[in-house]
Amino acid sequence: MNTRANSSGEPILAASGIVNRFGKQVVHDKLSLDVMPGEIIGIAGGSGSGKSVLLKTLTGLHSPDAGEVLLKGRPVQSIAAAERAALIGVLFQQGALFSSLSVAQNIMLPLREHTLLPAGQQEQIAAMKLALTGLPADSGIKFPSALSGGMVKRAALARALALDPRILFLDEPTSDLDPIAASGIDALILQLNQILGITVVIVTHDLTTLLNVCGRIAVLVDKTVTVDTADQLMKSDHPWIRDFFHGPRAEGAIKARDTSHGN
Amino acid sequence: MRLAPGSWSGAQTVTCMPANAQHASASPSQPALVVSGEGDQRALQGALEISTLVAAENALKAWSQPGPSRQLDVALLDSLDTPGALFLCGLRDKGVGLVGVSAEHRALLDLIYGLELKPIQKVRIAPRWRQLVVQLGKGAHDVRHEVIEIIRFVGRAASWTVSALLHPACLRPASISRHITETGIHALPIIGLMAIMIAIVIGYQGVAQLRPFGGEDYTINLVAVSVLREMGVLITAIMVAGRSGSAFTAEIGVMETREEVDALKVMGIEPMQVLVVPRVIALVITLPLLTFFADIMGLIGGAAIAQALLDVSPTQYLARLPQVVDGQDLFVGLVKAPVFAFFIAVIGCMHGLRVTGSAASVGRETTRAVVKSIFLVIVLDAFFSILFEKLGL
Repeated sequence: MNTRANSSGEPILAASGIVNRFGKQVVHDKLSLDVMPGEIIGIAGGSGSGKSVLLKTLTGLHSPDAGEVLLKGRPVQSIAAAERAALIGVLFQQGALFSSLSVAQNIMLPLREHTLLPAGQQEQIAAMKLALTGLPADSGIKFPSALSGGMVKRAALARALALDPRILFLDEPTSDLDPIAASGIDALILQLNQILGITVVIVTHDLTTLLNVCGRIAVLVDKTVTVDTADQLMKSDHPWIRDFFHGPRAEGAIKARDTSHGN
Repeated sequence: MRLAPGSWSGAQTVTCMPANAQHASASPSQPALVVSGEGDQRALQGALEISTLVAAENALKAWSQPGPSRQLDVALLDSLDTPGALFLCGLRDKGVGLVGVSAEHRALLDLIYGLELKPIQKVRIAPRWRQLVVQLGKGAHDVRHEVIEIIRFVGRAASWTVSALLHPACLRPASISRHITETGIHALPIIGLMAIMIAIVIGYQGVAQLRPFGGEDYTINLVAVSVLREMGVLITAIMVAGRSGSAFTAEIGVMETREEVDALKVMGIEPMQVLVVPRVIALVITLPLLTFFADIMGLIGGAAIAQALLDVSPTQYLARLPQVVDGQDLFVGLVKAPVFAFFIAVIGCMHGLRVTGSAASVGRETTRAVVKSIFLVIVLDAFFSILFEKLGL
């Protein structure tokens, strides 16, 4: 993978001994996951395996029943709000753009709250983020309800990037998108990672994204994660992982990846 | 800020702490930016990030005005983010040469420089007097459309309701009975309480106004007549419009946002028949019953006021009632109820079916439905007053 992975050194995000349970149902049992600075890591798993809960735990939105999440060596929930906002960017599955604000106002909101930049400069930065995520300049004054699915994802990504976070969490970035828009998002993720050096955590079950973009993949099985590269995971003899990487959809995605690499 | 000239080695330096340092207090490694150098040569050291951007801009503002060749040494920059890169690109546009750009930063600078940056458009705001004219015209246009739409929908709803009544097999008794429970039985406590309160309010006013003329006994007439002819049905209709008309809009509106209404159409089921007709029939049955209940409670409230203010015992009050009111007063009040009910239900359903897409639209349509149905109830009540006057009822 062409990511700016830096496997040596301290993990930028370290979850250890995470236990999450709802009532009697245990979702995560002593789950540990290290994310290295500059890498793109995918989190995969079946429906109901706790992908979203894990994402919420990693971003500090959900307090685990046991264990801790360290962001740059400090517990994620003890970091001051403004600082955490500058470290973490999240692209929510439905975009979560504020419907009462235009796209540009959405992007400028964190800038207005957490920086002392003058309004003109905030607008410049917002225009830059729009261009960076491949949105036309005239989409800035549009409201989220006037955007297509792919544009919502791009606009939400532009907002997540507003404060130049060190880690970007993407929740199903390519779901509900047509294949062309999805490939565009994949390319954008790779570009952001290579040029800005942003660490990316992607929760997805889009095999194309997992195989083409992610350096390592964390598969959520048996209430914990198995982390490895795609090639190693394909050799796994765990039944779910085997089915996941050798089903008809996976074969197609692998074929597509091999062809594109061949070119 | 202009820096005093000095030698390169002993150059003046400006240390720029992050702008939001006071917010993010407990950080061990806050990025800082040092601007050094003099004359045409300046150097940046440290972090050029969103948090140090304001300071960097202030330090370099005067220096970066267009002029002779100047150079900015960025070799010692540890970190650079996209706003920082945008700032450097802006300097480059003003003719400042960037020296010592590391490979990593060059990629970022090239990316940002390559972006086609257009300023974000401003929404054009018309002058206030023009806005007023535009709004007036738009309002008139909207009112015309609304009226046409209401007439059309009322007609459709009426025709569907009549055809359902003519073909009882099309009626949905389960749905009708559910709506009767929700709009009727569940509304009993609040409507009863409101009717008593209204009777007390009228009673107090009556006593206060009639006492100087020695006619406070007529308060009983005032309360009984106004409750039976007007207040009972009006209060009930307004309460039902706020309670059930809005519920109709919200229920159907949410179904519309989840494409449930389209699903009905695809399955060949007419939404008017399954969503509108049962609600209309249910409310037309419920509202007269609720009105009758409100009338009774209003008269009980009258009894309480008679006892408290006039020392008329409930037995005496009951004996006097037939002399002051008759069946005609009751009829005049009750006959309005089904008409109000029809319009409240139809307006509620119409706005529910007008919901488009977003959740915000559900709220907007609900508000409109309530405002419009209460308005219509009062307009219709005025018409009834004139009509009954002409008929001599």
